[in-house]
Amino acid sequence: MFEHFKTFRALADSHQVIFFYTGTFSQPVISAMAESLKSRLTAQGLAGVKQRRVYSTFIEMAQNIVHYSADAITPGDANDQEQRNGQILIAHEGENLTIVCGNRMNSADTERLSRKLEVLRSMSHDEIKTLYKHTLRAENEDGSKGAGLGFLTVARDACEPIDYRFVSLADTPSSVMFYLKAII
Amino acid sequence: MHTLRLAATSMTPEVDFDFAHHRLSLKGESYPENAQAFYQPLIEALGNYCASLHHTEVTVDVALAYFNSASTKALFSLFGVLNQAGARGNHIVMNWRHDPEDDTILEFGQELADDFVALEVRCMELA
Repeated sequence: MFEHFKTFRALADSHQVIFFYTGTFSQPVISAMAESLKSRLTAQGLAGVKQRRVYSTFIEMAQNIVHYSADAITPGDANDQEQRNGQILIAHEGENLTIVCGNRMNSADTERLSRKLEVLRSMSHDEIKTLYKHTLRAENEDGSKGAGLGFLTVARDACEPIDYRFVSLADTPSSVMFYLKAII
Repeated sequence: MHTLRLAATSMTPEVDFDFAHHRLSLKGESYPENAQAFYQPLIEALGNYCASLHHTEVTVDVALAYFNSASTKALFSLFGVLNQAGARGNHIVMNWRHDPEDDTILEFGQELADDFVALEVRCMELA
């Protein structure tokens, strides 16, 4: 057991992981993690606009898990005090920080989501900003709990196009793992 | 008219709508789980207050260090209500305070100024 833990720590250190959480995401958990992340970033000398971008991306991704992970503990139609499972990881990558989040989602929804993300991936930073401004003024889209601005906010704060993967799960073909990555 | 006060939490801002003195303030961070549920009562109270105004001077202080995407949308609706009051002949001054290093929050303040022409938006650095 202790050996496994040591290996796990060594692997995390070798990838310069500064933050990793797997488990239940709920609003109180996010709030506590956000607080801890903020002090961690400040202690590492990351301040100003870059710190705010990491903080913002972290919260958007974590709230996305609370709202959309298919691995829900609370009923799927709840819209308050939700709890859903997922993961989030932050690691140094050269000069930048990489944030990756993961959660289960229904295989049936992957096509719609990848269309949405491919649009963002194909856009320049200026185009993303323009779309953000447009979406802010538009009516809410159906099924969105975040005003349709969540992925746009992540894409706006990232310094490279956001990236994503769907990884199939052997135990449940009706679900896949969805990973989203942003470099800040 | 009554005062609407809510203490800040780690995820919601301090709200101090002193309607009697025409001073409104929002301060802190905003990333509630359900932004609509948090802001809708504020928007309604503000709407009722604004309906009662006649050529009134109103000061709105906004010092938000961080707000998530859903709060951004809700804030836009909230400021829209103030803008309508401005368009009806009231003088609404909004002091938009931002971290000097935070271009995103400054840009949002500038956009408010562009969109809501009946508001006098003053972008200033957080003291």
